[in-house]
Amino acid sequence: MTKQERKKAILVFSLIALVFMIGSILAGGGGGEEESIQTVMRDAVMHDVNKVSLFGLKDVNPALISGFIVSGIMIIFALICRIFVIPRFKLVPGKFQLVLETVVGIFDGMAKGNSHINGFLGAYIFAAGSYIFTGTLFELLGVQVMTTGGHPISLPAPMADVNGAIMMGCLSYLVIMSGGIVGNGVKGIGKTLKDFSLPLSLSFRLFGALISGALVTELVYYYTAMSYVVPVIVGVLFTLLHALIQAYVLTMLTSLFYGEVSEKVVKPPKEKKVRGKKRVTVAKEQSV
Amino acid sequence: MTGVPLNIDWQQILLHLFNFTILFGALYILLYKPVKNFMEGREAHYADMDSRAEQALADAENSKASYEKKEKDFDEEIRAEKSKLSKEIEAERERRLAAARGEAEKIISNARGEAEREKNEIIESAQKEITGMVTDAMEKLTLEQTASDAFDQFLDAAEEADK
Repeated sequence: MTKQERKKAILVFSLIALVFMIGSILAGGGGGEEESIQTVMRDAVMHDVNKVSLFGLKDVNPALISGFIVSGIMIIFALICRIFVIPRFKLVPGKFQLVLETVVGIFDGMAKGNSHINGFLGAYIFAAGSYIFTGTLFELLGVQVMTTGGHPISLPAPMADVNGAIMMGCLSYLVIMSGGIVGNGVKGIGKTLKDFSLPLSLSFRLFGALISGALVTELVYYYTAMSYVVPVIVGVLFTLLHALIQAYVLTMLTSLFYGEVSEKVVKPPKEKKVRGKKRVTVAKEQSV
Repeated sequence: MTGVPLNIDWQQILLHLFNFTILFGALYILLYKPVKNFMEGREAHYADMDSRAEQALADAENSKASYEKKEKDFDEEIRAEKSKLSKEIEAERERRLAAARGEAEKIISNARGEAEREKNEIIESAQKEITGMVTDAMEKLTLEQTASDAFDQFLDAAEEADK
């Protein structure tokens, strides 16, 4: 492409963008502006206004529908990989194989680096990390669903719902406890229960981080004037960062606590009485 | 659900849990386990290759050491053989030298004997010749003397006769 052609392309692109901008300003009204920003933001946190019907059985938060869709996408992706990609794996990996191996390797390495009992932990943090990452990126797609109130909304990230975040936090805590039980038996439960605030902190850290991102995005998208350029940074970049950071934070914390509670407790050498008041440690005796 | 803060709904939490459990199972079976198995298999394959290469290297080192030992032994053997041969050659040389000396001495001795014999023969022959010559000379002298005496006697006799 020559310099002149490039200039022409930029000019045409700018004109199209300008036409859309003028059109949207002239059209006015509609969309999110039917509700006040307070209502929108309150609903993003509380999920008490906009509900989606789950096959007519129950009205649920839109994030649950997001969760089902994300899971469906991920399972189909995994199935395609299992059938078409993994059987064609080579000793010297190609680009896509390298991506899959890197992702599995990161979580497997994280599990191995934190605990000696790492088979289940690796699989769990792989699933949790992938779910949080994909789920957070899912909100970028802006999939529209109809609420029970009769107006469309775009689906949020599954973890932007407090119920999803509580599930993830509590499940992570149970996984940590299972590591304690496997590593130290009943003492492992005690060690895990010492960190009783962990499920709360895990849940609300995840929820808080994702909902803050969602609120900023809602705020930006609410006003038409801010719907140009700004969403590229605020919407896409923030969402990408959230996806990465939150997936990393939850998996890292789970691995760390899992490693801590599953670590074998080494008993200090017992002191034993030797004739009267004289005490000699077993270790000292052995060394003598 | 109005009393629960943040509208926490236990039923929805369980639905989220159900959803995630299925996802976890599917991801473990379809993606995590096969990819991990493949990676471990490849690691084992390369570890095996590495151990085989190390074994081959060790074998090569052993072969090299063995070859060097053999070479050293062979050099030693050659050196010993050379030493043995040079000793033998020296002994043979000494033996031949001694034999040559003996031969030479014998030849010299024979030559001396021969020379002595020839000398004696020459001396004897010379003596004989001298003796012959002397005898001849004596005979000649004697004969001459006898002839002159006879002539003198003849002359004397003739003179006497004349007288």
